[in-house]
Amino acid sequence: MYRIFTPLCALALATTAHAQDLDGLSVEGLLAQAQKEAKVTVYAFTSRIGRVEEAFEAAYPGIDMVTFDMSSTEQIARIKSEAAAGIAGVDVIYISDAPVVLSELASQNLITPYVPPRVAGVLPDQFKSPLLAQRLSTKVLMFNEEAHPDGSPVKNVWDLTKPEWKGRVIMVDPLQRGDYLDLMTEFVLRSDDMAKAYEDAFGRAIDLADGIDNAGQQFIADLFANDLVLVGSTDDVNKAIGAKGQQNPPIGFTSYSDRRDNEDEGWALQVANNVKPSNGIVFPAFLGLNPKTSNPAAARLAVDFMMGDNSETGGDGFKPFYVAGDWPTRTDLTPHPDAIPLADFNGWQIDPAQTVTIRADVADFILALQ
Amino acid sequence: MTLPLRRRGQLFASHGLTLAMALILFALVAAPLITIAIQTLQPSSGAQAWGDVLASRLSPNLFWRPAANTMLIGLSVAAGCVLLGGFLAWLVVMTDVPGRAAIGFMATLPFMIPSFATALAWGSVFRNGRVGGGGGLLEGLGFAIPDWLSWGILPTILVLIAHYYALAFTVIAAALAAVNGDLIEAAQMTGASRKRILFGIVLPVVTPAIIAGGSLAFAGAVSNFAAPALLGLPVRMQTLSTRLFGMIEIGQTERGFVLAILLICISAVFLGIGNRILSGRRSFATIGGKGAKPRRFALGGGKSLLAVLAWSICFLTTVLPIFLLLAASFAPSSLALFSNWTLHYWIGTSDPAFARGQPGIFHNPQLISALTTTLTLGVVVAFTANLLGILIAVALTRHKVPVLSSLVSQLSFLPMLLPGIAFAAAYIALYGAPIGPLPALYGTKLLLALALTAAMLPFAVQTGRATVAQISGDIDEAARMTGAGFFRRLRAITIPLAARGLVAGLLISFVNIIGDLAITILLFTPTSPLLAVLSYSYASDGFHQFANAVTLVILVISMFATGAATLLRGRRRENIA
Repeated sequence: MYRIFTPLCALALATTAHAQDLDGLSVEGLLAQAQKEAKVTVYAFTSRIGRVEEAFEAAYPGIDMVTFDMSSTEQIARIKSEAAAGIAGVDVIYISDAPVVLSELASQNLITPYVPPRVAGVLPDQFKSPLLAQRLSTKVLMFNEEAHPDGSPVKNVWDLTKPEWKGRVIMVDPLQRGDYLDLMTEFVLRSDDMAKAYEDAFGRAIDLADGIDNAGQQFIADLFANDLVLVGSTDDVNKAIGAKGQQNPPIGFTSYSDRRDNEDEGWALQVANNVKPSNGIVFPAFLGLNPKTSNPAAARLAVDFMMGDNSETGGDGFKPFYVAGDWPTRTDLTPHPDAIPLADFNGWQIDPAQTVTIRADVADFILALQ
Repeated sequence: MTLPLRRRGQLFASHGLTLAMALILFALVAAPLITIAIQTLQPSSGAQAWGDVLASRLSPNLFWRPAANTMLIGLSVAAGCVLLGGFLAWLVVMTDVPGRAAIGFMATLPFMIPSFATALAWGSVFRNGRVGGGGGLLEGLGFAIPDWLSWGILPTILVLIAHYYALAFTVIAAALAAVNGDLIEAAQMTGASRKRILFGIVLPVVTPAIIAGGSLAFAGAVSNFAAPALLGLPVRMQTLSTRLFGMIEIGQTERGFVLAILLICISAVFLGIGNRILSGRRSFATIGGKGAKPRRFALGGGKSLLAVLAWSICFLTTVLPIFLLLAASFAPSSLALFSNWTLHYWIGTSDPAFARGQPGIFHNPQLISALTTTLTLGVVVAFTANLLGILIAVALTRHKVPVLSSLVSQLSFLPMLLPGIAFAAAYIALYGAPIGPLPALYGTKLLLALALTAAMLPFAVQTGRATVAQISGDIDEAARMTGAGFFRRLRAITIPLAARGLVAGLLISFVNIIGDLAITILLFTPTSPLLAVLSYSYASDGFHQFANAVTLVILVISMFATGAATLLRGRRRENIA
């Protein structure tokens, strides 16, 4: 017993002591220890992780990557529970839902940042701290390009509150999906822009109703009052807006990158970019480590791999994420040829720390509306 | 005050079982719930959550309206299920309607089709343009479907009736089959009319089953999430379970727990009334040691009409949804269900140009491991839950102890009222961390098995009760007087006589376990997912064809289980006869 116990203790101590040093190591420096660990477990919020697993195992034979595809909400619940149970179930966490991740995981030290030194120089600071952002995703206004070949029928988000769009604006219930609550929160945070856009749309200054504090809230209230249609999943929104052969399709908020399914699914989804004051939000997908990881080197190697290699498109590790509508955070990768470059995209980039300050209040505000 | 030793021994013999069951139920059901209750009683956040839910500007939308919808759905579904299930059970067991065996088999199927599949099937026929994407089948044919028929409370109720009537059918049919043929024969010989026999003999005898079936349907309907989420959301109809899910989903866990507790309270009050009726009457015992086979009514003139009605019900609630599901597992586009069919989603190999490179489900290495885990878990949990169920049923009917009995009865029914997701959360809250010397169970199959066992108890206990309640105490009494011990009596009398009810109970639990998602989604062990979890993760990634294919695998297993159970039952009957 004693004999087994001592080396285990020593190993545990060594792991803690080395964690800081490991952060500075290059891929070559990590590799030997990672091969000894021989395993790395990843929780990911996308099914694309399956293709990462294949590519990783091909690139680093002998290190088994075990991946689990589950929503960010599930991951958060699971990570909290595992921490409470004292289990190190996961090594690498690939997750969206930034405001909740920062306020509930990072603040409790349940997820720890790691920026691979290889890519540190090509990442803007905002994407390195408080956690490493791997790519940016969206919840933005999309329309049916078959029914509107000349471009978006909506040029100002306030148009959505006009009678011609009554019952024809669709999105996922913001009280069931965090991304959509973040979108609603952003409208409130950008109330000044919203007030200006109102003047453009209606030709007069905005007049706030009783009990409403700002233009963002007014917009949400007017949107709900205009018989907004709520559904349960992004896929339902895509289908509703994108399905071909519709005379008068609805418009609504969904992911820009879902356009990639247009051909497979028979959709005609297109993003409405020229919308005042903005078409929606752009938010990060985080890569982080479990601070209690038992495979610290392999975990870092996996994060390095998922940030893409030194080629123009990031190579096999980044390939599943190199699609139109998702932008890499690395500045040295060539933008996807079919996508609007991030610099020209009209979406607001959320500031998760700001979002989290009023997110619950916005949720309550919406709750009182429906 | 000391009791004579013999008296004390008797007391233990009669109270021991009830006490043991109460303890097991405490660990399985009460303790996790107390844990979440305590969490909502934390001075700051908890009190705030109670205030928000019950008395704030939010409460109408957070609680009162969803609660009203929930009650309306629960009561309508219970009534509908008892009518539909009872009608079919009567036809199958008591009459000479043509194709009885097939109707009996089909009437148990709807429960195996996940309610989200039935809801989707409803949508594919009745949906209108409100959510875009073109309408359903009927709009395609040129009918204008109003919102109230496409979305909201009416479709939710109808879909849930179509899903849960199988429960009422199974329970009522088991009870009807146990109606003593002698009684009916005697009544017929003395010239009682059919109506008289129905209302004078049959109905009173199956009352426990009707109440049990109605209760199961009510409880299932009020905690169902899939149907109101899919059909209610587009018109912003909320129930307590969709609200609860939403609160947990956006991280407002305390409010979610408060809603869970309120949902339990509301349902407990309602179901307590049913329970009282059940346990307040002792005169249900009808299975004597011997008895003739049940008599069948000749239907006469109305026969074909009733047969057509029964067949239509079965067709609409089983064949049609399954067919739509099957079509959707072949069709590349969900908009054109009947064109370009392919087997790729079942047996195709990975092709980057198709379905984003996903191989067919039979090429997914996780499918086989998920299959094994699901079956093992299903069998183990079904047996454990039903063993506990029959013990609890015996304790409740034979060893009534004031207070304790009603506690056991209430506790065993509680899990039914809990949305699986809240129940799973409660389990994690309690057993997720080490308790004293016991290790944390989080991430183990044991935790999953425990939670599922607890979740299945209502079914196990209700079906067990409906059967045990009918077994005459005389035989048990006689055996006890001749010196047979408790387990001997259980093995030689209770279990054989209750076999039919037990098989029904096992079947319901097994099918329920392998189709469960709400609980497993939070508790499954990452190393070995379950079929339902696999189906869900396909669906949540937009791979609907794959999700439908896995759902059909679950369905096929369920149908085999039902088929086996039907055969088993048939053989038993011959043996007895």
